Amino acid sequence: MLSLFRFIAKHIAYLYFLLYCGISILLMQLQRKETLDAIRQRGLAMNASVAEQLSNFTGLFTLRQDNEQLLLQNARLFSQVMRQKQELSDAKAMQAASSEAPAWARQFKLARIVDRRFSATDNMVVIDAGSRQGVTTDMTVLTPDGLVGRVIEVSENYAKILPVINKNFMVSVVSDSTRTLGLLSWQNGDERIAHMEHVPVSSPLKVGEQITTSDYSTFAIRGVPVGRVVRISKDKLFCNIDIRLAVDFSSLSYVLVSPAKPSREKIEIMNGDTGRKGQ
Amino acid sequence: MVMLVLVQHFFISRLVILHASPDLLAVFIAFISISIGQKTGTTYGFAAGLISGFFTGNIGLSALVGTVEGFSAGYFHVPDESHATWVKKRRMYYIAATTALLLGNLLQALLNDPLSLPLYVRLPEMVVIGTIMSMILGALMYKLVLNKLLKD
Repeated sequence: MLSLFRFIAKHIAYLYFLLYCGISILLMQLQRKETLDAIRQRGLAMNASVAEQLSNFTGLFTLRQDNEQLLLQNARLFSQVMRQKQELSDAKAMQAASSEAPAWARQFKLARIVDRRFSATDNMVVIDAGSRQGVTTDMTVLTPDGLVGRVIEVSENYAKILPVINKNFMVSVVSDSTRTLGLLSWQNGDERIAHMEHVPVSSPLKVGEQITTSDYSTFAIRGVPVGRVVRISKDKLFCNIDIRLAVDFSSLSYVLVSPAKPSREKIEIMNGDTGRKGQ
Repeated sequence: MVMLVLVQHFFISRLVILHASPDLLAVFIAFISISIGQKTGTTYGFAAGLISGFFTGNIGLSALVGTVEGFSAGYFHVPDESHATWVKKRRMYYIAATTALLLGNLLQALLNDPLSLPLYVRLPEMVVIGTIMSMILGALMYKLVLNKLLKD
């Protein structure tokens, strides 16, 4: 017995080592047991809590840098959102413009308005379709609602449009039910109201009639809606007629360009006879 | 010891280079082993491992590693009655710490693989780099605190 105690005393460190190793290995084996798992989980919770506090504290030192990064990130995200919103609204508008167009308008070229000047004296529209897209001068520009204007200048990728609401614009029109002919023009003032000229006082034209382009136009195909008669007042020889335009120029963003043009031969013979410019 | 575990766990273990970090606890256990003795060093190692494991979630392995570190460093124990010079004590301290670290890191690398690294990556990174980093920390500790305690 004494020798056993001596042996133990001599090798106590080894015994400790074996005991601790045994306990450690046992703990490793019992790692998944409920009690040990609960201790482990508590330890991890405490660990996470302390780490969070430390992280909060150290975060104070990097606050300025973090803020700058966040601002930068915000700006990046904001610009992305803006761009995506714009693309979405462009796509919607384009889809609406093509789906609302009547069947005969499907062959038209769709163009986006990229610039416009709607001042009291100089109203001009620029679209993003030019000679490359097959646009040429004197083509009719319209929307599914009605006539917008006429192409007067073309570059490779852009075209300038003389809109209906320009004092230099004129187009030959006809009413739908009484077939009254006249010349549509616009003077400075209300952008929704144009005037129909050269209609004699004897004309049977009534308020509410729809006005469309006539066969006599030198650039527009016939039948394009222009507007509706809203007021008729009689003068000595001719009537003063106000036409409410079909197109709302204030919210115009997409247009259709008609590739169809009246016969060149007809235009030449009309110009030769009268010497008048295109209407 | 609890303070040391907290410092190790929340500060020093974040100094990671190639998956390895310095081990302040191993240096401390080695110091206890050479200055007090193998039995005490082993017990300290086991206790430190248990506390450390409580935070890391791997109680058994941490306790085993601590025990092995304390026990192995205990072979280089310098008894007070040996009247060893401080140069010898210093040499023993470095040898004990290096041995404890090598064995402890080897055990960790073999039994613990949280990053699923292959063994040929784990072994050199944890054993070699971990030991070098810990020894740099051990040298600093020695210069700052431990040499005064050993001389006493």
